[in-house]
Order: sequence, then C-alpha cells, then structure tokens
Amino acid sequence: MIRNIPIAPEGKSKNAGLRKSYFRRLFAQWDIQLMVVPALILIFVFQYIPMYGVLLGFQDYNLFKGFWSSPWVGLKHFEAFFNDTDFNRVIRNTIVISFLKFFIGFPAPILLALMLNEVRKAAFKRVVQTVSYLPHFMSWVIVAGMVSSMLSTDNGSVNMLLQKLKLIDEPISFLSLPEYFWSILVVTDVWKSIGFGSIIYLAAMAGVNPQMYEAAAIDGASKFKQMYLITIPTIMPVIIIFMILAIGNLLSAGFEDILLLANDGIREVSDVIDVYVYRIGIQNQRFSYATAIGLFKAIISVALLTVANLAARKSGNSLW
Amino acid sequence: MQLRMFKKVSLLLLALTMSAFMALAGCSKESSVGKQSADNPGQGKEENASEADQGFALGEETLEFSFYGHYDWYTMNPWGDDAATAWIKEHKKVNVTPIQSGGNAQQKLSTMIASASLPDVIWMDRGGDVEKLRQAGVLVPFDDWLDKYPNMKKWVGESTINLLRSPDGKIYQFPNWYTTQPNGNSGYVVNKRIYDELGAPKLETFDDLYAYLRMVKDKYGAGVIPYDPGIEGQGIELMVSGFANDFPKTYISMRAVPEGDKLNSLFADPVYRETLQFANKLFRERLITQDALTQTEDHVKEKMYSDRVAVFAASSPTEIAARAHSMVKEKDPTHPGFIMIWPLHKENVDKNKVWPGDWAQLGWNVSVITKNHKNPEAVFAFLDWFTGEEGQRTIFWGPEGLYWEGTNEEGGPNFNDKYFAEPDKVSELMNTTNNFQWNGNTVFIDTRKAAIEMKLPEEKRNWETRWQSEITWKTQFNSTPFINLDPASDSDLGIIKTKVDEIYKETMAKVLFAKSDAEVLSVLDKAEADAQKAGYAKLLDYKTEKWQENLAVIAGK
Amino acid sequence: MNKLTAGDRLMYVVIYASLCVLGFATFYPFWNSAVISFNNGMDTALGGVAFWPREFTLDNYRIVFKDARIVDGFVISVLRTVAGTFLSITSTAIFAYGMSKKELMNKKFYMIVCIITMYFSGGLIPYFLLIRELGMMDTFWVMIVPGMISVWNMIIFRTFFMGLPDGLEESAKIDGCNNWGVLFRIALPLSGPVIATLSLFTAVYHWNDWFAPSIFINNQDLLPIQTKLQQILNSNIMSEQMSQANSGAAAAISRMKSNITTKSLSMATMMVATIPIVTVYPFVQKYFVKGVLIGSLKE
Repeated sequence: MIRNIPIAPEGKSKNAGLRKSYFRRLFAQWDIQLMVVPALILIFVFQYIPMYGVLLGFQDYNLFKGFWSSPWVGLKHFEAFFNDTDFNRVIRNTIVISFLKFFIGFPAPILLALMLNEVRKAAFKRVVQTVSYLPHFMSWVIVAGMVSSMLSTDNGSVNMLLQKLKLIDEPISFLSLPEYFWSILVVTDVWKSIGFGSIIYLAAMAGVNPQMYEAAAIDGASKFKQMYLITIPTIMPVIIIFMILAIGNLLSAGFEDILLLANDGIREVSDVIDVYVYRIGIQNQRFSYATAIGLFKAIISVALLTVANLAARKSGNSLW
Repeated sequence: MQLRMFKKVSLLLLALTMSAFMALAGCSKESSVGKQSADNPGQGKEENASEADQGFALGEETLEFSFYGHYDWYTMNPWGDDAATAWIKEHKKVNVTPIQSGGNAQQKLSTMIASASLPDVIWMDRGGDVEKLRQAGVLVPFDDWLDKYPNMKKWVGESTINLLRSPDGKIYQFPNWYTTQPNGNSGYVVNKRIYDELGAPKLETFDDLYAYLRMVKDKYGAGVIPYDPGIEGQGIELMVSGFANDFPKTYISMRAVPEGDKLNSLFADPVYRETLQFANKLFRERLITQDALTQTEDHVKEKMYSDRVAVFAASSPTEIAARAHSMVKEKDPTHPGFIMIWPLHKENVDKNKVWPGDWAQLGWNVSVITKNHKNPEAVFAFLDWFTGEEGQRTIFWGPEGLYWEGTNEEGGPNFNDKYFAEPDKVSELMNTTNNFQWNGNTVFIDTRKAAIEMKLPEEKRNWETRWQSEITWKTQFNSTPFINLDPASDSDLGIIKTKVDEIYKETMAKVLFAKSDAEVLSVLDKAEADAQKAGYAKLLDYKTEKWQENLAVIAGK
Repeated sequence: MNKLTAGDRLMYVVIYASLCVLGFATFYPFWNSAVISFNNGMDTALGGVAFWPREFTLDNYRIVFKDARIVDGFVISVLRTVAGTFLSITSTAIFAYGMSKKELMNKKFYMIVCIITMYFSGGLIPYFLLIRELGMMDTFWVMIVPGMISVWNMIIFRTFFMGLPDGLEESAKIDGCNNWGVLFRIALPLSGPVIATLSLFTAVYHWNDWFAPSIFINNQDLLPIQTKLQQILNSNIMSEQMSQANSGAAAAISRMKSNITTKSLSMATMMVATIPIVTVYPFVQKYFVKGVLIGSLKE
C-alpha cells in the first residue's frame, strides 16, 4: 500500500543514469500521472493542434488558398498595427479602462461576498444573492438599450432626477460626451458582474471554521475585526489566484460592453484593442491582421501573468 | 473494489482521448479528399451542360438545393411549412434546405469557405464579397441561360444585368428588389397638430424650418422634440440635399462629391460644410434632440408614438410615421395626424432639384449559385421562375385558390373576397413568406399593390402609400451610376475606405457638439487632413474610375 | 456572545442598506424586462411601463412557443447542460487534484502548457477544420468534448484542494487509500462549495452558449434552445430589415399589423432563456454552508 508513495531514486541504481531513474520515478507515481495525462491529451488535441493558426499573423492569409498556399509576409501586420494612427489611443484606452475595471471591478464582488457573509437572516441573504446575479443573464444588447434610455436627454431617468434635484439646468447627453464614458462603462460592468463574481468567494468562505468566530467574539473582537482577521485570510488564496489571472487579462479591457455602449463620437476614449480588432480585422475579414494583434496581446498578457505570478509567489500562492 | 471502478473510469477516459487521436491521424487524407470534391462540381457542370440543352424542366424533375442567407439577422423559415412554399414543393418539386448563419454570418461563411463546403446558393450583398468568391472561381455564371429562361431578361432588364456584370464580363448575381421605377421613403415628416397649433407657417426653406423649430421650442419647451433626425443622424445627413441643386444625400454615403468627371473630397466640399454649420446651429440651440447620435430605434418610436416630435426626418421615416399616425388618431380622433412635406431647401435652390434619398435599379442584394451544386442550371431555372409572374404571385399572395383566383393580362392575381375579408390572415401569410423574398420583383409587386390600394376607400388607404406617391418617390435620386464604388474590404484600398468611414462618423459627432461655427470648420479641416493622410486621394481615384465604368455601361458601351 | 458594539451596529446598518440598494438595482431591470414581456408591444413603445404590465398580453410568448421545435431545443439544452457539466466537472476535478499534488513530476511544465492555452489560440478556422476532420460536425458531442477540460476551473479546483488540511490525506493513506481513493473519498466530499460553484459556472456556460452550435451544427434538430430563440428573434428583426431594404410599397403591405415589437419579443425570449438556469442558483446555495469541512474533521 505504501508502494504508491514515490521511492527516492538514489539507492542502488545510481549508475543507471538520470534518465532511467526519471522514468522509474514517473512510473512509480502512475496514479497521479494518470489523473493529469488524459486531460493534457485533450488539451493537446483541442488547443494545441489548431494552434498553428497563430502563424496566420505572419501570412497574408487567403481563405480560398488555405494555410499552406498563403504567402508569408513576416512582421508586416505587426508593423501596420504599430504604425496605425489609432495605435496610441487604442493602447492608452485599453490600459486606462483595464485599470479602472481592475481597481473597481475586481474588489467589488469580494466586498459583496464579505457583506453577504455578515448577513444573519438566511432568507434575506438568499434573496440578495439570487437577485444580484440576475444581471449576468441579461445580454449586453438589452443592457445597453436600458442604459441608453436611462441616460437619454429626453425623459431619461438620470437626467430627470438631476434636474429635479436642481443639480443641472439642461439635460446632459451622457453617452455622447467623452468625459462620462469611462464611469458609465465601469458602473455598468460592476452592476452586471458583481453578483456572479461573488459566488466563488462565497464558496471560499464556506471553508471558514465557525469556531474561530466564536473564539474571536469571546476575545471581544468586533465584527469588522473578525472579518479582517478571519474571513479575509481564509479566502486570500482564492483572491490571489484570481488577481494573478486578472493581471494576465489586463489587455482585455472589454468587448461587447464597449461595442454596445460606445458610439462613433467618443471613439477617442472608447476604442480598445478587442474592439479595434473586431472593427478593423474581423468585420473586414482581415484575418491575418486580427491574428497578429491577437498574438501581440497574448505575448504581453503572458508576460504580465509571469510578473504577477512571481510577485505572488512570496505569499505562498502562485500558479506555478 | 473501488479501485477497480476508478480504473474503469480512467480507462474510459483514456479510450476517449485515444480515439480522438486516431480520428486525428486519419484526418490529413480526408482533407485532401474534401478539396478534390470541391473541384469536382466544376467538372460535373460541364458534363451537365451538354445534356441540359433543352433546359431544366421545373416541376417535372425534382430539384434540391441548400440556401444560405449571409446576414446575422437572417434565419430561413423551414421550406414547405407555409401555404406558398408547400405549393412550390408539391407542384414544382423544389426543396430548399436552409443553412443558417446562427447570428454569426461572417464567421459561418469563412468556415464554409475554408473547409470547401459552400452552400449551393448564397444570398448576400452585392459587391466585395461576391467578387472575392468569383475570383476564387467558386461561382457559376448565368450567361448561357439568360436566353433559355425568360424572366431574368424580361424583368431585370438588359441595362441592370450589364451593371451587375463582374469584371470578367459575365453575370453571376441574381438581383433582389431590382426596379426601373423610383422608390424610397426618405424625407421630412411633420406633426400636423403642432403645425396647426402654431398657425401652419410656411415650411419650405431652411430659414422657415429654423423659425418653426424656434416656435416649437418656445411654445412647448422640453415636452416636444423640435427636430428628430432618427437613428444615426440620418435626418441630419439628408439636409445636405437642400443646400444646392442636385446634391443628393447619396454623395454623403459615397463620401465623395462629383465635379466634372472626377470625384472630390466630401470634407472639403462647401455644400457639405454649409450643411453641417446649419446642423450645428440647430443642435447647439437644442432644436435637434441631443440624443441624435446615440438613440436607438425604440427611443425614436417612443417619442413619435407618444406625439412628442414636431419634425421627424430620416431615410425611411414612413413606417414609424404611419404607425404613429394611426396611434395618435386612435387616442384622439380629432388629431390631424402626421403629414410629409416637400423636402426643404435653401433660398435660391430649385425645389425640384432636391433629393433627400436615392434608389438604384439594382435594388437591394443578390443571390449567387456556387459550383457546389451538381446542376447549377436547374437552380438558376428556379430563381428565374421565382422572380417571374407565377413565382412572385405565389410567394407573395400564396397559391391560387387561397386568396386569388385566375390572373389578369399582366399575370397579376385576381383577388377573391376572402383576401379582403381576412386581412389578418393575409398579412400573417405575407409575414411568413416575406422570409423567402430572394428575388423580389419590385415593379410587378408594386403595380399589383397600387391596384389594390386604389380599390380601398380613402380613409382605409395606407398612409405610406399616399406620401410615397405624393412626395417621396418624386424626390428620390437615381443613384445607379454610383453603385459598387467600394473596393474589397481586405484590400489596401478597403483599409483606406474603412479609415475614411470612421473619420466621417467621428467628425459628424464632433461637428454636432462643436461650440461655434469656427470650431465646425476646424473639425472639418482636421477630418480632411486625417483622411488625406490615410490615403483618401487614392480611394477617390478608384471610385472615380468605377463611376466612369458604370456610366459607360449605362450608356450602352 | 451576541452583544453588538456600536461599531458593529453601524456596520450592519451600512451592510443591510447597501444590499437593499444593490438588490433593487439588480432586480428592477430584470423585473421590468419581465413586465415588458407580458405587455402589449405597441403600448410598451409609448414608454413608461415600469412595475406592472399596463396592457397585459401573452402574445409575445405565443410567438416564442408557436414553433413546436422550441421544445426539442429545450430538451437538447437540458441534455447538453447536464452531460456537459457532469463530464467537465468530473474530469476537471480529477485533473486538478493531480495538479495539486506537490510530488507530481513535471508539474511546472504541465501548468505552463495549460496556461498558454488561456492566451494563445489558433483562431476559429484551424479549430473548425480540426472538428470537421475529427468527424464531430453535427454531433451532440461537439458541444461537450472539446471544452471538457477547463483550465480556469482546474486552477480554481486546485486552489481549493491545496487548501485542504494535509492531515486528512495522511490519515486516509494510513487507512489504505491510494491517491484516487483520497480524491473520491476525502477531497471531493469535502469540496461541496467549490464543486457547486464550478458546476453552476459550467452549467451556465453550457446553457448560454450559442456560438458553438451556430458554427458546428447545421442539423436543426440538434440546436439548443438559445440558438432557436435567437432565430425566432431574428426572424422578427428580419421583417424590419427587409422592409427597410426594399423601401418600395412591397414591404408596407407585408408587415403584419401586429402588436409584437422586437423589444417585447426580445424580452420574452430572454425570459424563456434565462428562467430555467436562473432557478438553479438557489439550489446551489445550500452547499455554501460554513463548517462542512470542520464537521468531517471531527469524525
């Protein structure tokens, strides 16, 4: 029975060489290797085999000719992207929107989960939990329609409210003016994802030992202190892992939300990489161009992820 | 024991992945087979050509083909589920299998091209994409069949057919809603109640409009939108037509203005600049709704239906206006409803040379037949029949015996009493078969429709029909010479075109929100500079060339 | 023990108040959509429909359910969601448990292999060709197998597994379990909350996904409900598009004089599409009970 615990390789067969001992060690832990290898094979088949597609970014891909007969053009598409007049603002908007979403959108579900965790009335907690996750199921088309009618200058509820409160004289066309866009986007985004995002933290909080709260209460710790000293440390590993992943996704500032909430007049603040790729690449069927930009994004993302992972390693939680 | 179960599970998983692998190993051969079969239909076609000299006898032989509508919003109804297609299925032995875009047209078509598994018929916009398919050699030309089957030649007409020809001189596209008569709904709708309450002032020039909108704003305040330009600022763009003789809105969509035999920059054009200064003045003074560029169709409807718009202008305002007309009247029978006015113009511009909208002989979109089908001629024979009298009256008004009995000398249906007695059922049928209007024959249908309309008492006549015949059809510009000016979207010129379009849209928004006339001009100057930097001049040269080619075709050269 | 300090009380007030505001903000739009789906479309177009239908109608739902095939779509969706979730969660959990073992050889390499797939992808066309060559086009399995292993879910599972006390595993091993035994007898039973959460995420994904079927499935009988609903909605949008495109008189007559608008219909389709999956969540919540882990430790 103890056979399954890997046997230390150094022993008799030192002269058999490292290779042999490597395979022997591998075989010795066959049961846990068997847990991961089939999954890795699936990943290989469905993710790695089609990955030759990233090479499209170095071609002038022609659908009719196919991959093998399309001409190779080197870094042409990357250069075209870097030299595009929109490049600077696309990158700037991507970074700004990403950071806003990261600093506001990332902690929001954690905060909600922490608040829900304090709720004693089970029924109330359940209702809020269920209700707060409803927006996740509304399509962006419908959400964007609601936002634009709320913010309309004619009978829009926000403008009417502000006018009633005498905060403004004339209605403001929020969606047409660049200065409001980022706030609108972030608020809508938080609203849509907060409930769904909090679920995983609630699951993590189920791991807290209730006796710890009791002990802390006896010691006279306030509720806030208990949250700070017990709940948060329990869910910290999950938070850190999510944060690493979120940092890796910093270049994905949004797509559908921006596509549907923004309009041509405010492109100077709304154009981000994914929307740009869609507009210039996908819609015009410039596959190679779209692929090249996707590749650029992926490389930066992996770099960001690596840095985040290194930093997180100090806390004892990291991806690898 | 549990261990055994785990082993079983893991074996199963392993087997699964292995079989995936095996299938993969066998795939490279399959793919080359797939490519071959893509070429095969071409050969098949030649074989068929000789035996098909007598033509395809529709209704005697069976015909099956797959149909793909290349639009996100298009989902073909099941063939044979409604009275009209059931009749065609039974009597013409035609069965059509849909291939749906699933809301994903662009990607769906790409995958079908990449895997050489195209549908038999693709229904799509004419222009760039069709040309790409043609260049790849997957489309079938119709030239040999034009004389064998009567309807395309008869109804589409020589001149339109010539305009549809591809650069190799052959015709690959079957048009939809082609026409020889002007049509279109673009124009200005006025709320008659508000107009009367303000004393029905003269409303012919832009000065009149400005004065009128001011009166509206002063009298009704925030409760009424003085001027609503519909979605995407359509009602602002069409104003350009009134600022000079023969300056149709078409030039804005083209992003080019003809002068002599050359096309020039839109941004530098004085007429366009003057229009935008006027629009900016109206917008700045809040005479145009501040939501002009962000509102959705739902917002526009809401305002119109609830009687809160004084002037509504758009490229197709009639549908909403007709609905609003009946709704306000329903609520208040004394409400005079909505009217359309003759397109507005600047002082000294000839009112008969104002064109707020346009039409083209080619109509809307086209069907193409791919080499995927074994007998493309048979498919053509069907499309030809479909656009002819029998096909049109069947798909539009259902099979004979349902709502019509016999035909008149022009092939139009003679409607029976049931047609007039069951308007709801008729429109339900039409709403279903609307889905199959792939080769709409505008002139044939419109003539029938006008005849029915005339039989109705005045008050039952359609609001839209009235204003179409009184105003809009008289004021639509024939833009046929300016069709197909756009380069392929993934070419270098296509990239320039995309840039210029984006500059245009951004400029439009900036102009409206500009604080002064001077700022409007500086925004336009910047647009011109940006566009030139992107290569606008080259694009204009290309468009000029295409335009001249069209003129030559129209002149019959 | 339950004495609350003034600070605690203030905190509770803030918490309850913000949750009420949030609850309203997230509930109202959904409720309003439901109301609109039961309201006459033309009446809705006048604006102002808020908390209760003004002109109640079932017409919007009638259009949705007119097509009997919507029921087939529902069955396909349920099958897909159940099978897809079960297979994906099981296989991903096994994978993640293996990856959580400190002694797993090549662990770092495996992890990097996984992470790369989160950012690099070959795009739709090579993927499509692969699926075609695997013979998975127009099969039920194309919606299940390719996405069975989710790297993202694996990472979360793994994080939770690593948080399990080491003592449990050791005592199980002493009792004679190998690693598979530990996984199924100890680790999984203790992972109720994370299994529930990830199952919910996966089920939601399967239920909502319309992209894969739209590309890989042409057989109408295999389409899930989301795709079917999309088609119903599209056919309404289409009649608007058609009438804009052929601006001649032809269109005017063919427009059904109905009270169905795209807006009211899209709200009805949204309700039909979301209610089944939304109602799953409350059942999942019961797994979020604190102390599950502790209870088992004491045993």
